Amino acid sequence: MQVKKTNYRVNATPTFEVLSEDEIEAIYYSALRVLYETGLRVYEKEGVEVAYSGGAIVEDTTKDSSLVKIPPWMVDRARATLPRKVVVTGPNRKYCMELYKNQIYFGTGSDTPFTLDPYTGQRRRATYQDVKNLARLAEALPNIDFHMSLGIVQDSAVGTYDRWQYLAMLEGTNKPINITAVDLDGLHDQLEMAYIRLGGKEEWKKGPCFSLYIEPVSPLSHSKEVVQKLLFSADHDIPFVYTPCPLAGATAPTTLAGTAVQALTESLFGIVLSQLRKPGAQLIIGGLMSNMDMLTTVYCYGSPEMALLSAAYTQITKWLEVPEYETGGCSDAKLFDEQAAMEATINLATAALVGGNMIHDVGYIEQGLTSSPDMMVASDEIIDMVKHILGGIPVTDETMALDVIDEIGPGGHYREHDHTTRWKTELWRPKLINRQSWENWELAGSKAYQQRVRERVIEILDADTQPLVDEAMYKELHRICELADARHKDEELDIKMFG
Amino acid sequence: MSTLYEELFTAILEGNNEITPRLVQKGLDEGWVPKDILDHGLVVGMNEVGARFKAGDMYVPEVLMSAEAMQAGLKILRPLLVSSGAQLIGKIVLGTVKGDLHDIGKNLVGMMCEGAGFEVIDLGFNVEPERFVEAIKQHQPQIVGMSALLTTTMRAMAHTIKAIEEAGLRDKVKIMVGGASVDAEFSRRIGADGYGSNAPAGVDLAKRFVGAV
Repeated sequence: MQVKKTNYRVNATPTFEVLSEDEIEAIYYSALRVLYETGLRVYEKEGVEVAYSGGAIVEDTTKDSSLVKIPPWMVDRARATLPRKVVVTGPNRKYCMELYKNQIYFGTGSDTPFTLDPYTGQRRRATYQDVKNLARLAEALPNIDFHMSLGIVQDSAVGTYDRWQYLAMLEGTNKPINITAVDLDGLHDQLEMAYIRLGGKEEWKKGPCFSLYIEPVSPLSHSKEVVQKLLFSADHDIPFVYTPCPLAGATAPTTLAGTAVQALTESLFGIVLSQLRKPGAQLIIGGLMSNMDMLTTVYCYGSPEMALLSAAYTQITKWLEVPEYETGGCSDAKLFDEQAAMEATINLATAALVGGNMIHDVGYIEQGLTSSPDMMVASDEIIDMVKHILGGIPVTDETMALDVIDEIGPGGHYREHDHTTRWKTELWRPKLINRQSWENWELAGSKAYQQRVRERVIEILDADTQPLVDEAMYKELHRICELADARHKDEELDIKMFG
Repeated sequence: MSTLYEELFTAILEGNNEITPRLVQKGLDEGWVPKDILDHGLVVGMNEVGARFKAGDMYVPEVLMSAEAMQAGLKILRPLLVSSGAQLIGKIVLGTVKGDLHDIGKNLVGMMCEGAGFEVIDLGFNVEPERFVEAIKQHQPQIVGMSALLTTTMRAMAHTIKAIEEAGLRDKVKIMVGGASVDAEFSRRIGADGYGSNAPAGVDLAKRFVGAV
């Protein structure tokens, strides 16, 4: 074959950029300044000590906390051991996430107090069965790569709900899970449960089957349980997401660049502390960052600012060479309506275009207070469509098809030509989106999009599925939950969320 | 008479914290009664701010600027009100409960309540039940407001109410709760007197508790 060109670059995918490299660096060096000059408040003595032994300045120590300032050289040292790639698998290794650079994975969100009933649409507090059902949806949806609870289990004890939640998720899905933990004891219990699910403690090293979600408080505050979880995760090789959730205009500067600087300061502290504790501790950095709505005071999940900040911050984490945590597929709508679909589409598209490793919160509505199965199922298809756009347009001699154009000629048509058999791979096919003619759509029942989505949710939930956890294993896992309940019995009060 | 009150009304609405205290001082110099300046000038202005905010015609930062203007005026009036025995519309003790560091919502409630004419004692965040009890004993508020973001710290609200009951103080205060994961149903279950879904709702509730609405 004769080579006839050189220096020819291709776009294998579209590219999308919010910040230039110089702007990313400006934000980074500003964050280093805030770390060094302003400092952060740390509410856990052990965390303060680890930072101090590593070279941090510690001042203004009160009964609860200390002000910790980190000089820039400590960040450089931490970055040298920070893993550029983190792997999280599902418990039976069928699914695996390789988190680095431009690999994208989509997933749901965690711990909503409310959920929309998949059958009635009623908004109510979430139960064990809801969390299990939502996990089953995640298992069935091809574009959901990892799962988070999409509901706080509230028909169990309040102080140990995290173990029950994890069990419900394990019952529903074999995909990698991003867990939350009430406290250190909850994290410890869920790790034990994971060892059981994997078939032994040694299996964890071959691929952890969960990552832990940890959220410091903005501005610049690292609470006791946040630091405890960070240290425990570093010690036990648990990959963890360390993400602040700053609120522009309320707990962070109104200007988005200022929010990014503050968030990066908070993230860098997590990086420094974890690497001091154990060089090579695995972190995923990023977050949910957005603005406060100035009329209603809510934390916006569907705003353009959320999409913009998420994308910009993902660029920053890529530049830092650490796995990235992004947000998309969420909305401020109160039900799965046009607003929900529209906001989710915008933030899924921007998230995917910039390409964060874990794009989370698919299925979130009402500012993350309520989960919606309809939103989850609809988003699966939106992601599919977005991914098709990410496939770009390959420009080759074959795809430019000059010979076909010449063959068909003026006034001809392409439908029967061999070339058109490419439609299966070249053209995207919707399942929930409808493109029928009016008459056929009417004949098929005049179904609105919402109704088609709802029917698909019910179809998945009503389908017979094999249990993912056998009886013996279920008993072992259940026992850990029960023991946790017994240990924390005295902290509970005689109030139940239901009944 | 109406000119001073009209000017104060405008100054409050515009959030002007320089003109407001000057007008208050001018009123005092001309012999107006401090309580009248408060009720007919400052409070009327803040009530209008509240109404416009509810109608979606004013934004939170504007409301907070108005509250600041009110506070600037109130600073001058307060010692005079205290010495004449006149009351502010009420006293509120606020705090984010034990185990929780999230306080932006509570802070908004505090600022808006001050704007409505309340005296606010803010205990901060991560407040143990015992500290709420101590604050009630020390300040004798009409209202106690508790905030929590995390579902795990919602329990602390119930624990705090229990502590207040055990101290024999439950009937001395009205208790209101708020926070992202709290709702009216939860408020009812733990025996609180009311729930506010956001800061303005909290202020309205506080006003109702002291009969100012």
